[in-house]
Amino acid sequence: MSALIIPCFIKNQWDIDCLNRLLGSVQSQTKPFERVYLVNDSSPLKYECRHDFVEHIILDKNGGPARARNIGIEKVLKLDIQHLLFTDHDCILDREWNEQMTSFLSRTEFAAVGGMTHSWGKTFLDYYHDINGTLAGKWLLPDKKELWYMPSLNFGMKAFAAEQFPFDERFPTAAGEDVDLCLRLRSKYRIGFCPAAKLWHDYGYKNSILGFNKFVKLFKKYKSSSATVYEGHTVLMWDSSESIFKGNMYESDLQA
Amino acid sequence: MSLIYRLKANHPNFSHVIHDYIGEMRPFAKRVSKPHLVIPMVMLKTIEWGIYRWHKTPIRRFYGVKSNELIYMITNACNDRCPKCGIWERPEPKSQHLMISHFINCLKRLHHNLYQVTLTGGEPLLFKKDVMLIAEEARKLNVPMVIVSNARLVDEEFLNRYKALGHILVISVDSVEKQKWNEFRGRNNFDIVMPKIMLAKNILGSQLRIQSVLSKESAQEIPKVIEWCKQQGIQHNTQLYQDFGAYNWHNAVTEKAMVDDGTPCAARKNICIYPNGDVVKCFDHRRIPLAKEPLGNIAKQDIIEILCTKRSTEVSKIMKTCNFPCKNMSCNKPQTLLFN
Repeated sequence: MSALIIPCFIKNQWDIDCLNRLLGSVQSQTKPFERVYLVNDSSPLKYECRHDFVEHIILDKNGGPARARNIGIEKVLKLDIQHLLFTDHDCILDREWNEQMTSFLSRTEFAAVGGMTHSWGKTFLDYYHDINGTLAGKWLLPDKKELWYMPSLNFGMKAFAAEQFPFDERFPTAAGEDVDLCLRLRSKYRIGFCPAAKLWHDYGYKNSILGFNKFVKLFKKYKSSSATVYEGHTVLMWDSSESIFKGNMYESDLQA
Repeated sequence: MSLIYRLKANHPNFSHVIHDYIGEMRPFAKRVSKPHLVIPMVMLKTIEWGIYRWHKTPIRRFYGVKSNELIYMITNACNDRCPKCGIWERPEPKSQHLMISHFINCLKRLHHNLYQVTLTGGEPLLFKKDVMLIAEEARKLNVPMVIVSNARLVDEEFLNRYKALGHILVISVDSVEKQKWNEFRGRNNFDIVMPKIMLAKNILGSQLRIQSVLSKESAQEIPKVIEWCKQQGIQHNTQLYQDFGAYNWHNAVTEKAMVDDGTPCAARKNICIYPNGDVVKCFDHRRIPLAKEPLGNIAKQDIIEILCTKRSTEVSKIMKTCNFPCKNMSCNKPQTLLFN
């Protein structure tokens, strides 16, 4: 059994369209989720959820995606659900995403798993993210037998791991909190990679020219968060890693 | 352990930048399957690389996992003349001794990350007033502190204050027999120091530890020290390695045996400060070419800025695979392996 946790902060119509698109893909899963929690982080724009399979939790105060996910985790841990999966509102799940993620967690000893993330858009910038592996996971080098890090948009944990390693709510935005979680988690457990668990992420680039500013801002945000994470993890942060893309996603078979 | 290096901090030069850039771009370019997209993609990668390298960003100082040890070699000066150690031969001039406020500031900046602050030397208690200031600040910041001392200058007042702060005192003892003691210390002070160790035991109780350095010269004495510690109920640790100084002491365990023992070096956890404020990741930093020069100086720069430089992170990466005999120094071992 698995539960899906989606933190969201709806600022405009594009966010609403993204969320509806995501929930459509959630609905069409080959293996349905036991529970779907949409944790609305006190969004400025009102969102009415049209799907009755979604438990819509509206927070009265904005606390960032880490806190929103932790609220979802608390809910799930009260139930007899073994696998907690996470994605973001601007993603689209492959039909077999839940099936692949939960199956991987069930048959392996990894405490957490990441799937393969592709760009949804077709601009040069999207193509860049695909080959750069910007939001794909990172192999831990030199062996590539586990992940160094997996972004929380395509991530799953076993319940015991989520209980021991919640997100750090001191991260106020969607940057760095997932790196921090993975670094802490890896002090005790390992993170596996399941290339068959696919999803697409929409970076929101209208085209390669108009999207350029957004592209630069994205990396500035990540630079800022990496400095913060470095302050917390001066030992673990600099293990060697390699970002995952189509060309190296099958370099290790972690299925067994 | 040598303390000799050029005082001028050496920042990565232009060739480091080029090397880093090529190191990033070459594997990335191989990922681009369509030849006509190689140049635009490498341009985008260059932008990302430039942001990560040069974009100045505010660091949120809210956050830390307590995984680092801050080690302050407060002085090179010492009131003993141990032949195993040459540090006392090179006391720093007064003009180069770090103002204590700089270290306190460094401690404040880093305390979220620290599981321990350690004062070593030389003999730290030559600067007893500064040591107590650090001990009190560490207590306020909830960072456990350890002093490694020869115990020559401990007294009842110091011990009572130190006890109240809850910190640990490690006394260096390589023999419990008067003749050998005086020989190993280069001073006839057995009759002065031994009573002080007993006084420390009575006042500090479990906050007192004894550490010995194993060498060919001290090999027969160390088992007696261990036995004596057992009788006294004092936790003891034997350090297997020291880079012995000018008086030709020798390690008892061969360097090869120490390197091949299969244990990893834990020195990456360290943030080490020299008496003049220079920062290194390990007191044996000279073994790594990129780390020969200090990473910065806390009298001139913020410690977080120093640790966030590209060279610091490169040195940390390199240290992950360090396998030198100095991994057997107490400062380079995981905390869990000491004083068992």
